[in-house]
Amino acid sequence: MPSASLVFQSVVLGVLLGGLYALLAAGLTLYFGVMRVVMIAHSAFLILAAYLAWYAHREIGVDPLLTLFVTVPLFFAAGVVMQRLLLTRLRPATLTMMSVLLTFSVALVIEGLLGYAFSGTQRRIRLGYSSASIEFFGARIAVVKLIAFGMAALALLGLYVLMKRSRFGQALRATIQHPDAARLLGIDTDRIAGYGFGLGLATAAVGGTALSLDTTIYPSLHWHWIGPLMAIIVVGGLGSVPGAAIAAMTLGMLQSLLQLELSTTWAQTVFYVALFATLAVRPQGFFGGRLAQRF
Amino acid sequence: MRSGSDTRWLRLGVLLVAVALALSFPSMAPSPYEITVGIAILNYAVLSTSWNFVGGFTGYISLGHGAFAGLGAYGTGLLVTKAELPPFAALFAAAAVVAALAVPVGYAALRVRGASFVIVSIALVLILLLVFQSWASLTGGSRGLVVPRPFPGMLRSEHHRTFYFLFLALLAVALLVWWVIDRSRFGMGLKAIREDEDKAQSLGTPTFTYKLVVFVVSATFTALAGGLYALWFGDLDPVFQFSILSGAYMVLMALLGGVRNLYGPLLGALVVGYALEYAKVEFGDTPLHLVVAGLLLGVVVTFMPDGVIPAATALLGRFRRTGETSIREVTAAELRERREENDTTEVSSERSST
Repeated sequence: MPSASLVFQSVVLGVLLGGLYALLAAGLTLYFGVMRVVMIAHSAFLILAAYLAWYAHREIGVDPLLTLFVTVPLFFAAGVVMQRLLLTRLRPATLTMMSVLLTFSVALVIEGLLGYAFSGTQRRIRLGYSSASIEFFGARIAVVKLIAFGMAALALLGLYVLMKRSRFGQALRATIQHPDAARLLGIDTDRIAGYGFGLGLATAAVGGTALSLDTTIYPSLHWHWIGPLMAIIVVGGLGSVPGAAIAAMTLGMLQSLLQLELSTTWAQTVFYVALFATLAVRPQGFFGGRLAQRF
Repeated sequence: MRSGSDTRWLRLGVLLVAVALALSFPSMAPSPYEITVGIAILNYAVLSTSWNFVGGFTGYISLGHGAFAGLGAYGTGLLVTKAELPPFAALFAAAAVVAALAVPVGYAALRVRGASFVIVSIALVLILLLVFQSWASLTGGSRGLVVPRPFPGMLRSEHHRTFYFLFLALLAVALLVWWVIDRSRFGMGLKAIREDEDKAQSLGTPTFTYKLVVFVVSATFTALAGGLYALWFGDLDPVFQFSILSGAYMVLMALLGGVRNLYGPLLGALVVGYALEYAKVEFGDTPLHLVVAGLLLGVVVTFMPDGVIPAATALLGRFRRTGETSIREVTAAELRERREENDTTEVSSERSST
């Protein structure tokens, strides 16, 4: 049995990891909300952002955090373009299925191009504060993990404020809840859906930068992220942001705790076990409403 | 009436020529290498035809069918090496085990529609990859698993030739079963699910049972193909057996050929399989094959989601100018598009009249 301080350390690490999961799952939930699209390429964009941060750091020596000012607008634009040019071309009747394949193919292209440009070698950013850590009630927490969590928390908070307080957020939520009614009220739902998609992709930019701070990256890494993220949104209930956040925190913590007793790979299976258990017991997820049952 | 019997004779003729070509290929091939390419393509054809039991009939797109192929391959390999079963007994035993496993997997995956189903199918590959890599004491982990050859005394070229015919036989069985289901009441129910699951259910189709049965059939054929591959190739690595890419190739082949057609996946496998083998020789193992596969899948999904065969027949139909009969198959997607087109034309005509 591991000591109490070790367990506490795992809980703290689990919360920090869960924050990042929650941000990324929120992005996936946005795509699903505005367009009923399951975005497989989300984690590929995540790794792309991490690579951009790493590349900028290597070539011009800037702090990875500064790349956010470029990657966030860039990814937002890429999301809008992807929604306008690719996803709206699909037939409405088979949109959900075909969008999975389309975004899957985008993920393959990104992985292939990353592998071609930067080779399959594992990369890591070395920073002045990489090895720094602070004591927190007896648990040692790496500073970079705290920064990553802070970024994720800030981005989530920003997303929340945007969704709840701004006119754009209202329009976006109206589009998610009832596109026809939103159109009747004069909302340009197509444009709003594009922006919603861009916002989702912007979360991948923030997440990727956070990831690059303390993780070794390689092109096929995105498969290790998409599985857990998909499991999180299903467990939380497709389309539910709070559900995704709660599922992300719970599963992130469980994974972190299981790593005490099991190897890293076995600990990751907790996501899939949770996914299968959820579907067998409560297919619409634990916080999903009417929307989730149909998909 | 006359044109109907004409096309029937034409089809029979094409089928006979294709079968004759397939049977005589090994004796015409200049070297054993061509036969191995033929086997690889046949393997793809069996896999994508097996995939098409679920994808084509029910419209549920599984990206994780590679998992069943991998399970079939590892099941066969482990039963031969650890339980010392005879090779072909092991093959069928492994397929039976996979069929039994597909029941709970299908039970979880098919309770939900579309999106969650794909998520589960991807998760299945990823979880099995983790398990087979980590459980090194049983599976050999990343070092791989060597499966002994089923015919020890046989020369290498003879070995390839035998397996060519074994794969061909498996393909024939898979196609036959697909054809039988296509013409049965069961197949009618499955296609109803594909077009509109709610309506099918309200008309009394036992949708869940139908989906589950066809899912298990599909998994079994996929496992047989995987197991046969294990016996032929003799060396298994979790990274390749439980690769998300192999599942994606199945989808790509089936979609490219056309999921509603019996020979669609076979045609797709011929094109994509040959292209893959060619790329392997020409470009080696660069990450660019991912880009090519991704672009191809994207183009097929965006521009011809019904596949080449329907696109070609539509083109032919335009030349022949055969009028539409009153009883015909129209997909839910087409109906919806037509309805929307009608709506917009009505609106615009109303506008112009006022």
